[in-house]
Amino acid sequence: MDETPQSREQPRQLRGLYSHVKISVRALDTIIIACVAVIVILLVIDLQNPGFTITFDSKGGTDIPCHNQMYGELLELPEPPTREGYTFTGWYRDYACDDLWSVQEDTITQDITLYAGWHPNS
Amino acid sequence: MANPITTLRNSAEEFKQLDAKDKKRTITDSILNNALYILMLIFVIYTAIERPNFLSLGSLANLITQVAAYLPLALGIGGCIVLTGTDLSAGRVVGFTAALAGVFLQKADFANKMFSFLPTVNIWWILATMLIVIAIGAVIGLVNGFFVAKFSLHPFIVTLSTQLITYGIILWFFSLNGNNGQPISGLSAEYKDFVGGTMFRLGGVAVPWYVLYAILLTGLMWFIWNKTTFGKNMFAVGSNAEAAKVSGVNVFWTTVLVHTLAGAMYGYSGFIEGVRSGSVAANTGLNAECDAIAACVIGGVSFVGGTGKISGIIMGVCVLRLIFVALTMLGVDSSSLYIIKGAIILCACALDMRKYLVKK
Repeated sequence: MDETPQSREQPRQLRGLYSHVKISVRALDTIIIACVAVIVILLVIDLQNPGFTITFDSKGGTDIPCHNQMYGELLELPEPPTREGYTFTGWYRDYACDDLWSVQEDTITQDITLYAGWHPNS
Repeated sequence: MANPITTLRNSAEEFKQLDAKDKKRTITDSILNNALYILMLIFVIYTAIERPNFLSLGSLANLITQVAAYLPLALGIGGCIVLTGTDLSAGRVVGFTAALAGVFLQKADFANKMFSFLPTVNIWWILATMLIVIAIGAVIGLVNGFFVAKFSLHPFIVTLSTQLITYGIILWFFSLNGNNGQPISGLSAEYKDFVGGTMFRLGGVAVPWYVLYAILLTGLMWFIWNKTTFGKNMFAVGSNAEAAKVSGVNVFWTTVLVHTLAGAMYGYSGFIEGVRSGSVAANTGLNAECDAIAACVIGGVSFVGGTGKISGIIMGVCVLRLIFVALTMLGVDSSSLYIIKGAIILCACALDMRKYLVKK
């Protein structure tokens, strides 16, 4: 009797961390299918608009629009920003402008914000 | 009364019907049980078509490197899961030991060096630091293990509190000596070379030394799990603590040691993470335990307790990393990654329970 198809719907005692869980195989199947569906839907939505966002903070200079680039690409340089009384020195990874983004070597691996470096004109 | 031939035909038909049903059931079962693997396979094929350099040697080197970085943590947590527990403190312990390793191994001439009295970095000091941070990780694990074993507290509660306490210590540590919570940078070149130096190149991409260390560590863990009395006791306690106690296993020390060993693994991970992150911030290692737990569950270390294999954990880490490398190469938004991770964990747990229920 215990091995009839109906017994598949009966909750059975689980052990360990699941010892208080009461769930049928059918409910588990629903959860599995739902999770897979969520993953697939998210992937489909995300793949419509792929790429990592490169944001430019010109720190008082002219505004530079952000753009999207793919993994492993070199940075596509926008027109350099301008600022009254300062000379542009390049794009940096940090606000304090210690860590210069190397245009020849560094590749895009994630969303990133770059900060403009300025040198005052004497 | 019934014609024997008709009866036979009927039963044959019944058998056929049952067989078809069984066949269908078997097919559905195998599709559902391997849902994550099938999904991953389709996804990998898609990525390979969209981005041909996903299949390059350089990409393989990248995958190996990432697996080597995440594997020790999963190996540590795996033991706790075998005991039907878990460990939520892992990420913060990694962060803390990474910060310690970073401070111990800063450049001598670095302007913001936190403790100027520390010795100049050489190979012995690097090894000593590694042992110190592993020991500190082990002590935190020991505390976890003691409370879990002594008072039968649920590991969720104990490790949640050690997670928060460790985070407090991290924040306190980062403001020591006028550091004001700044990230710890200026790591010495010797330390960087020892961990992240190039062992060999694969398709132009460097494979660092810590890949070798991860292989050695995996071998050691395999030995502990499969060839020692302690390992066998761990599985016995995990599948039935009462029965293990009756048959003479010291449940208290087994539990304490499993957590201590896990803590030592987090300490080692912290030592590696210091170099990997470049500069250690207060948030280094945040949520690292989630990836490790997910990898274990995907790899068949069941929350049911008492089951799990080292090879399964390696498989789990590989699957998870493969998915994330592919997602990064496709340029999927990082905010979706968290939702995908959550769905993967839930799905893996449901699969875990399903396998247990259907098999029984």
